[in-house]
Amino acid sequence: MSRTLQCIAIVVVAALALLPFVPGAVDAYYFSFLFFIFLYAIMAQSWNLVAGYGGQISLGSHAFFGLGAYTTAILWTGNYLWGSLYDKHPSIYYFDPVTMLLGGIVASLAAVIVGLPLLSKLHGDYFALGTLGFGEIVKVLFVNGGDFTGSAFGIVAPAGMFDTLRPHYWVALGLMVATALAIRALMRSRYGLALIAVRDDEMAASANGIDTLKVKVAAFAGSAFIAGVAGSLYTYYIFHVGPDSVFDLDWMLLPLMMTVVGGTGTLLGPILGALVMYAVFDLARIVVPDYHPVISGLTIILAMLFLPKGLMRSFAGRARTG
Amino acid sequence: MFNLPPPDILLQLSLNGALGGAMYGVAAVGLSLIFGTMRLIFLAQGAMIILAAYFVRTLFYGLGIDPFLSLLIVVPVGLGVGWLMYQGLFRKAAAEEDRNVSLLIAVGLMFLVQNLMTVIWGGNTAGVVTSYTASGIELLGVRTSFTRSMGFLIALAGTGLVMLFLRKTMVGKAVRAASEDMDAATLMGISPHRVNAIAFAIGISLAGAAGVAVATTFPFNPFAGFIFSLKALVALALGGIGNVTGALAGGILLGLIEAYVQYFISGGWTNAIAYGVFLLVLMFKPEGLFTRPYKKA
Repeated sequence: MSRTLQCIAIVVVAALALLPFVPGAVDAYYFSFLFFIFLYAIMAQSWNLVAGYGGQISLGSHAFFGLGAYTTAILWTGNYLWGSLYDKHPSIYYFDPVTMLLGGIVASLAAVIVGLPLLSKLHGDYFALGTLGFGEIVKVLFVNGGDFTGSAFGIVAPAGMFDTLRPHYWVALGLMVATALAIRALMRSRYGLALIAVRDDEMAASANGIDTLKVKVAAFAGSAFIAGVAGSLYTYYIFHVGPDSVFDLDWMLLPLMMTVVGGTGTLLGPILGALVMYAVFDLARIVVPDYHPVISGLTIILAMLFLPKGLMRSFAGRARTG
Repeated sequence: MFNLPPPDILLQLSLNGALGGAMYGVAAVGLSLIFGTMRLIFLAQGAMIILAAYFVRTLFYGLGIDPFLSLLIVVPVGLGVGWLMYQGLFRKAAAEEDRNVSLLIAVGLMFLVQNLMTVIWGGNTAGVVTSYTASGIELLGVRTSFTRSMGFLIALAGTGLVMLFLRKTMVGKAVRAASEDMDAATLMGISPHRVNAIAFAIGISLAGAAGVAVATTFPFNPFAGFIFSLKALVALALGGIGNVTGALAGGILLGLIEAYVQYFISGGWTNAIAYGVFLLVLMFKPEGLFTRPYKKA
């Protein structure tokens, strides 16, 4: 990333961070719009880590998002474990960093447990199919979880807690920036080099002494961790965690789409993709409310037909040649 | 739970499972062809099946064409739509190395088709009710519905025709060669675009045939297709990717598994167990249950 681009990024992030202080901004529509862009950008980064940099197409992000969301909701309302503490201090888990971290950790543990057998045995499309199957299994497990997971209805968190969207906005912005910085640092480390090597030629990488399984599982777990934390954040926004909402396939498909539109394997691609695609979807939702999913589908097809390499690569390529 | 039910119930379960599973099977045969040549997980297959079902319904209620007779319309239309779909949407993406692109086009297509159906026919559950919908046939003391048996026959006939095409015609052999090794096939003078387009045309026309079976048997809604795609993928993995008869057999096996799980365990676990079997097969027998492993030269 060039110096100027770095300066621009810092200014933009600073401006976004100060935005909630502008009078009236918090109540404006674009405030929640920005929150969702941050949330999707985090999910897109998560998918980009394992698929863009790691070359392992995972179709199970929604499972990790949902695991993070459910972990938070279960810890928060403490259906079984510590109901008494929750009764006395319902706010104790609201934006509690430990709870959010645990959401990520549970998701990444699940990723390690399922990733070890899947990634050692399956390659390419078979891995993609396997993660898709895994996502469906997790969903059914939560539907059949009885009182612990609230079955088909899910868990309702104390929505009375909510008074402003500001904490959501800041946490989402902070997480988005932190994720991008962490991935940037990671990709500049030995581990990042190893990950790229595995993506480009697994056999050559392993011939050079890289433990390919370890590298792939670590990327899968890291990606799951990010998704889990994002799911945790979403719980604080939506207050009702149900199998059909947090395990919805859209939590995998939309970030995937945003990453590809922005540019897979680039640092800013997922963020740019999230911004552009969410803006298009939202505009369609406002302008042609009855047809907006049709427009969404059409946008994906058109983007893939005309910008198959993603926005970042298309512009970077044009800049270099022109 | 562990008491074995009387044999007639067991037989009835097996029959229902097998007949229902044949529909997954015919969807899986289409997926298998498309996956074989293009290495594309065509997630929109289920949406195409439901689209065909709505088409059949419109033909029936609008023009009074019998659903089973409409096979004669749906299948050729499917061939044409599949061919055009490949040429218009996937041709460019198939030439690229990056397979995310074609996967995403399939996803976009799924969104588009699902929601177009909602706009045109509404999101409510629809169905086709004919004079023979409720009628049944009795065979060896087990009863089954006439439409389900017809769906089974359609699946058998569709798979049989595809098999004949792949085995006996030159074009079919080209498709088979391309699914085994696209590079080698291209070196032998087979045009990848041509075989891809043929695979797509046949895949979509099979979706049309499956649509007839679905329309006459089940109530359906615009969003019912996705679960069909997933089930077809499971059937595909059970049968062995790239194996046409295996895909049908995989579908029937999946139908049997579902029927038994529903009876012996509980309806709520059907999907988890189906996908669990799917994962186990992917991991321990990725070549499928019905293929002999390739002999290494």
